Amino acid sequence: MVDQLPNLGREKEMLAAMGMESMEDLFIDIPNSVRVQGQLPLPDPQTEEEILADARRLLGANTNHASRPSFLGAGLYRNYVPASVFQLVTRGEFLTAYTPYQPEVSQGMLQSMWEFQTLISELVGLPIANLSLYDGSTAAAEALTCAVRVHGRKATQENTVYVSELTPPDRLSVMHNYCQGADIQIKMLKHGPDGKVALTSFEEAKGSCGVYVEQPNPYGILDEGLTTAKEIIGEDTALIVGIQPVSLGMVEAPGAYGADMVVGEGQPLGSPMTCGGPLYGIFACHKPYLRLMPGRIVGRSVDVDGNEAYCLTLSTREQHIRRHRATSNICTNETLIALMGAMHMALLGPEGLQELALRNMSASQKLKEELSNIAGLNLPHEGPHFNEFVLEVPGSANSCLEYLDSQGIFGGFNLQEWNPNITNQILVTTTDQTSLSDIQMLSAQLRNWVNHKGVKA
Amino acid sequence: MSHLFGHNGAIGKGYAQPQPMATITPVSLPSTLMRKQAPKWPRLSEPEMVRHYTWLSKRNFGIDTGFYPLGSCTMKHNPRINEVIAQLPGIADIHPHQGEKHLQGLLSIYYEMQEMLAVCSGMDEVTLQPVAGAQGEFTAVRCIQEYFRQRGEDQRTKVIVPDSAHGTNPASAAMAGYEIVEIPSRADGRIDLDALRAVADETTAAMMITNPNTLGLFEQDIVEASTIVHDAGGQMYYDGANFNAILGLTSPGLMGFDAVHFNLHKTYSQPHGGGGPGSGPIGVKSQLAPFLPSPIAGKRDATAEELLHSVDGSWYYWLTPEHTIGKVQQWHGNAGAVVRCWAYYRRYGNGLRTMSEHAVLNANYLRHAIHREAEAAGVSHMFRDGAETIVAKHEFTLSMEPAKQAVGISAMDVAKGLLDRGYMAPTVYFPLVVPECMMIEPTETESKDTLDTFAKHFVEVLQQSPESLHEAPTTTPVRRVDEVYAARNLCLRHPFETNELN
Repeated sequence: MVDQLPNLGREKEMLAAMGMESMEDLFIDIPNSVRVQGQLPLPDPQTEEEILADARRLLGANTNHASRPSFLGAGLYRNYVPASVFQLVTRGEFLTAYTPYQPEVSQGMLQSMWEFQTLISELVGLPIANLSLYDGSTAAAEALTCAVRVHGRKATQENTVYVSELTPPDRLSVMHNYCQGADIQIKMLKHGPDGKVALTSFEEAKGSCGVYVEQPNPYGILDEGLTTAKEIIGEDTALIVGIQPVSLGMVEAPGAYGADMVVGEGQPLGSPMTCGGPLYGIFACHKPYLRLMPGRIVGRSVDVDGNEAYCLTLSTREQHIRRHRATSNICTNETLIALMGAMHMALLGPEGLQELALRNMSASQKLKEELSNIAGLNLPHEGPHFNEFVLEVPGSANSCLEYLDSQGIFGGFNLQEWNPNITNQILVTTTDQTSLSDIQMLSAQLRNWVNHKGVKA
Repeated sequence: MSHLFGHNGAIGKGYAQPQPMATITPVSLPSTLMRKQAPKWPRLSEPEMVRHYTWLSKRNFGIDTGFYPLGSCTMKHNPRINEVIAQLPGIADIHPHQGEKHLQGLLSIYYEMQEMLAVCSGMDEVTLQPVAGAQGEFTAVRCIQEYFRQRGEDQRTKVIVPDSAHGTNPASAAMAGYEIVEIPSRADGRIDLDALRAVADETTAAMMITNPNTLGLFEQDIVEASTIVHDAGGQMYYDGANFNAILGLTSPGLMGFDAVHFNLHKTYSQPHGGGGPGSGPIGVKSQLAPFLPSPIAGKRDATAEELLHSVDGSWYYWLTPEHTIGKVQQWHGNAGAVVRCWAYYRRYGNGLRTMSEHAVLNANYLRHAIHREAEAAGVSHMFRDGAETIVAKHEFTLSMEPAKQAVGISAMDVAKGLLDRGYMAPTVYFPLVVPECMMIEPTETESKDTLDTFAKHFVEVLQQSPESLHEAPTTTPVRRVDEVYAARNLCLRHPFETNELN
């Protein structure tokens, strides 16, 4: 505490300059009836050294993913973030700045975010990107309300949007919270047994305000059908595609097959998982959505001398100007994490991104090859997949994952958490950080599970 | 100028990666799914990348650069140990779906933070799920909404906000589907109880207010306001943006509030990062607790088997309240921010009150110093207090209206003049109820010397000629930016076609 307060010990002097005698004089306006009596019932202050020691002990008790093979993904992906990204993003000029309301002294962050907008725009194939929303789920939810604002008048299915039925429940829950205030009805897009969207359900969605699908989808499946969705739903229904940004090194940019808005968890580019936050939500769109979209956006301008300069623009959509008529309540966003994303993208370049996508896919392909040799395991969905796929195990997924855990492996994500009726499926994820020995260990232990621990008829 | 899209150093390859894993069948995609055109990204070698972003950072102003008296934003020093801790693999490299036994350390930190925030705010339950202040507002309003729906009080369709409220308050309530009723403040910026009485009725779901208010004044009638709203059957919502002023001195619970959000990035020093990330936990009284979103960390005694993974003999677990509104972010909130703020809180512990006392000391000292310097220089007629008061809390407002009337110097001119003297400008033109407003919040981490020097510079700016101030700033990386041009000639990404930048 003492090393954080430069005026400790100078109180008397400062009070005297104001004609006051005690600190209490500063609080005469707080009625006694609402004053806290006595000291807060909290522990004594600690020094930096003591805090670090406690942090190391407590956080050290968490199992980190560098310490064992991990096949957990399902929306967040272990990745390698180049060292220079951390070095630069912790520069105090970036780290300790507020929102760039004074553009003359905020050009660094403003230009970085304008560059970020360009990188994202190019990545997803749409002309406009904002400078981040909180995460992939809120970006998807805001895209739905934006679709209703834009298409509400012409829609024959009033205030209705369609969302893939595979959307993870926690993401869907965010959508419900964001949509209920505007009375938006969320209907489900059906998927076939192959895990892909049934094209007939795009027909059903015609006349609604928007359709939300993911590519790759939550089962890791790359769905060709999505590339025909826009033709089916037509101009007056927004096609919203949720993406995993690294996949776009190999997979077609949604803008190229008619997406009107693209959203997603930016994390795999530039950010560690950090137990799910802070992340950054990608939000990109076509021109008709621009003036009704959520979030901040940077424009290039000039200063009074005619020099290139950047500033926040289209602010009249935002809460600090438009108040209750704003397009969103978002104020603080995830700028610094978006900056990490921009740095990572700048280091990768287009070929590097393709290579990164290939590393993810190759590891997944390799794992599929290994697992398909093990009798008793089943991969219910034929490819192509990006970096994760569904694995069916004998016995329950839960016991299998517990067994793998006991052998020092995070074996994947139990799909029962998304669908209580499914008890034998695991979502298995590989990333650029998956090694051949990780795959061999998982295969060996799954073989063990099938032979000795699994339920046999 | 350094332009990202002007770099092409590492042609063909950027950052060098290990080889993809060899597979029996080559990786392939159907042609409709293959990407046809690569993104027009630059390729930077590491030296180019480091220099580009270093150059950009030098064109940016943070608390580390200088005094940052941005009212309402609580720009205090961000202790560096927080950053060291946030990069430990036990927080950076963990996944929310890993089981509780693999997250005992983080769960215990969540539990400790929930307890601490409950103690500081006088609330019963806390969730760390919301990731920003505005999202905290939205979350709490949703809890209030479901609470009334469960009670069958669907006619409560309105949320009351004072006209001096932060813009996020009405925006968050409207997003939840509420009609906004705005009530005027009194001439001194404080709440008008008669105006409140006139609108509080059986259609009121909640009132949203911050205290100290956006003029930096303590709302002495707050208990009366709470009573009016409660008597009408509504809930009281506390906007925690100004919480830095009151820790250990008073609490929203004592003032009669039912729900609170905390801006961990203001009060508890999560760095603001040029616009985020933040963290916006909420605390509520018991009647609203069943509606909170998960995750909430619970605690019980560890079983013999669990002791192996326990950090302190207890077992921590995630719990979901019975009537939860569901999620507002997909994961466990901004865990990285929570851990940083835990480190910050540990530094103060039961001394948090001293932190708030010094925040208030510094604000009042600076206000006096500015008036004193202005008087000595004969420019005290150029501005007035935004509201008459004996003491302010953690921030105060000045109105530049007299200068504007007399010589045409606006609050914005003064702001730009301060930029030329190496300061971040205070918040300007907010709250809207003060004409030509400047809102100044020094925070507790500025020394007396910094405050004295700033007061001198502030007064020197007022002594500048209006012409020179209209020209300001002249020493910054760019001069006044044409925001109208930006809005009329929208250029929201690099126009590769014209290539005019390279």
